[in-house]
Amino acid sequence: MPNCNAIDPLVTPYVDGELTGVDRDIVAEHARVCPPCHSRIAAEHAVRELIHARRDALACDAAPAALRARCRMAAHPDERAAPGRKGLRGLFRVLRSGNANSLQAVLAPYALAASLILIVSGAFVYQATDKSARVMAAELAADHVKCFAMNTMLSTHDEASAVQLSMVSRFGWNMHLPDEPSRAGLELVGARPCLYGEGRIAHIMYRHDGIPVSLFMLPNSSRSNEVVEVFGHEAAIWCVNNRTFVLVAREPRRDVERLASFIQASLR
Amino acid sequence: MSASFEAEALASLDTLYRTALRLTRVPADAEDLVQDTYLKAFRAANQFEPGTNLKAWLFTILHNTARNRARDRARDTVTIDSETVDRAADVPPPGVAGVIETPESLLLRQTLAPELQAAMDALPGAFRQAVWLRDVEEFSYAEIARMLDIPIGTVMSRISRGRHLLFERLHHLRPVNA
Repeated sequence: MPNCNAIDPLVTPYVDGELTGVDRDIVAEHARVCPPCHSRIAAEHAVRELIHARRDALACDAAPAALRARCRMAAHPDERAAPGRKGLRGLFRVLRSGNANSLQAVLAPYALAASLILIVSGAFVYQATDKSARVMAAELAADHVKCFAMNTMLSTHDEASAVQLSMVSRFGWNMHLPDEPSRAGLELVGARPCLYGEGRIAHIMYRHDGIPVSLFMLPNSSRSNEVVEVFGHEAAIWCVNNRTFVLVAREPRRDVERLASFIQASLR
Repeated sequence: MSASFEAEALASLDTLYRTALRLTRVPADAEDLVQDTYLKAFRAANQFEPGTNLKAWLFTILHNTARNRARDRARDTVTIDSETVDRAADVPPPGVAGVIETPESLLLRQTLAPELQAAMDALPGAFRQAVWLRDVEEFSYAEIARMLDIPIGTVMSRISRGRHLLFERLHHLRPVNA
């Protein structure tokens, strides 16, 4: 009779029904007379059967609609309205290099390409929370530009209720968006996850008379109120209940301050 | 690239996304991984050999992408330390001798999908991958070996070890004497 070591490599294919003829008979016979191997085979077989029985439930996650749209777009790269991922990677290389001139050069076409949208997403900030207001604003401005560029591909559109639900589920942030954003000339549009970085923050995107406006919320952080200018964007920063809010737009400072006051007053 | 290739490739989106989710366990990372997979697949469509398994080809790209990404970022989402894994695979599963008389099938039949899912997510990445690809996605040993770029023997030992770890964990949740 073969010993247990000789049987060893045959056990898994035996359980999977991949053995035929003599090999299968050898394992079956060995298992009949060797309780430890019998037990081992039974355990493996039981787990395999269990996974098969629960397969439908295990495999119930469907790809999000936005991902489906992006993958479909991947088949037709020439039809993209926005710069592609390679361009975005270039943007982040420049950002990491800290070269402001090249960053401006890279950002310009993105600002032009940006259209639509309100986006709610888990945006990524490169541990911006510990950095100076200016560095944080620069990284958020890059996220702002990147997200708008990415979303020119999508044409998704979310209702305020969907955005609010997403804020609760992603960030535990039970909030209520401004009821009448149109009073400030704001329009709210779509949702997708941001793709880069570490540390998650909330990113809600508006369009103000056609110009992209981003509202970021950084949980568990506070810093002083101020407005900073980075790469042609103005960023208004304020804090409520240990949450830092940053509104970013490529608009004159007074307009950004006005939009920030409106959001601050009407966001609950 | 033909329209039928595109349609057939996109038909695997859900299953690729699920597998990416099991690999990364983070939805945003899974989405990124799947999107990258399709970008590469469509770009390399002419390298696909018609008549072979398109789904397996896409899974191979998915795993290569995940591996490269893990290497690039040196971030431990799907990092597989082959040596550690294969050493672990050499160790005989502990405790099995103690359950000789256990009616395994009956015991496990009581296990619900969420418990099973949690146990699978708790497996080391290499074992989780192998078991998922075999038992949920039902790929052959040879297909999995190509996807993960490891020998068939290693595929089988990882599946075996993964199943035994699952058995121990689920068995532990439902002691025989209880």
